Amino acid sequence: MSRADETVWEVFARKAYEEPLHHVGTVTESDEDLAVVSARAIYDEQAWIEMIIVPRPSIREAISA
Amino acid sequence: MSTGSVRVDPATATMISLIGSLADNKGALGRRYGEWAVSAPTIESAVAAAAMAQDELGHARSTYPVLAKLGVGEFGSGPSAAGHGIEPDSPKGIRPLQSPESGGVEPDSPGPEESGLDTGHPMFVISQELPDWASFIAANLVVDGVLTTFVAGTRDSSIEPLAQRARKILQEEGAHRVHAEAWARRIVAAGGDDLRLLVQRIEEMWAQAARWPGPDSDPGYQDAIAQGMVRDGPLAIRDRVRDWLTALMEGFGVSVSLPEPGDWSDWDPLHRR
Repeated sequence: MSRADETVWEVFARKAYEEPLHHVGTVTESDEDLAVVSARAIYDEQAWIEMIIVPRPSIREAISA
Repeated sequence: MSTGSVRVDPATATMISLIGSLADNKGALGRRYGEWAVSAPTIESAVAAAAMAQDELGHARSTYPVLAKLGVGEFGSGPSAAGHGIEPDSPKGIRPLQSPESGGVEPDSPGPEESGLDTGHPMFVISQELPDWASFIAANLVVDGVLTTFVAGTRDSSIEPLAQRARKILQEEGAHRVHAEAWARRIVAAGGDDLRLLVQRIEEMWAQAARWPGPDSDPGYQDAIAQGMVRDGPLAIRDRVRDWLTALMEGFGVSVSLPEPGDWSDWDPLHRR
């Protein structure tokens, strides 16, 4: 099964409401729902209270490296 | 009906059978999911398979002790080796996708004390390693779907320890359903042999999983509903899963055949198959 059309999703999470979301890694999936399942399964080492995923193509650089 | 050490009414006997078999099947499902944690099509799905395996094994371990609350021997958190306390023993072990009744072979396997959770009396379709990823997704859709639909009907059970566990199980099963639906969508998009195999595996899994709740006319089951032990009868469980799965696949433009089981003459209420 080809993975050529898959999207990289950036994963952000936080452990406490007073904390900002931190970048914790990425997952690669073509399907948004599968990306959510994968992110929760892969980055489960902490007791997160919130986790979000963002498709990398939606990110816009304000300052380029 | 006697459980070996205590006598119980038909409703309780039915719930003992259902709960013990639920735990057996969740233990087997956990093993089957876990076997794909090193060979799923993608690394992300391999990790998801491992996480789902952990969930299922945890559900099995937490469900067995409910049997003790119903007066069945000493169950701790292990498999229901002795027929959920209702019967001394019966053959168990690795089976092919088809049941022995339909021509398959049921070889010997280690006893429960030797092989941990991979024992008891699970459905034949999940009692051996799943041969392909389509089988994994079909088990995720159909077997997990039937078991979870039953569990959903025990969320407010009069058997309080069961209701408590149901609420926790249902939280975790939400992710399993998302996984199954998303992979079904992906396989449909791939089409060809992948899709044909998925449809075949779904129909094979259904043939056995649909029998698990049993005949709708089971008086013990009807008593259990009347006593608030469980909300949904066997027919309602099958209808719920069939409606969901049919709509899901039709949404992708794919039809699957999920018939109502017709012949209950060889129904084994103890092992639920």
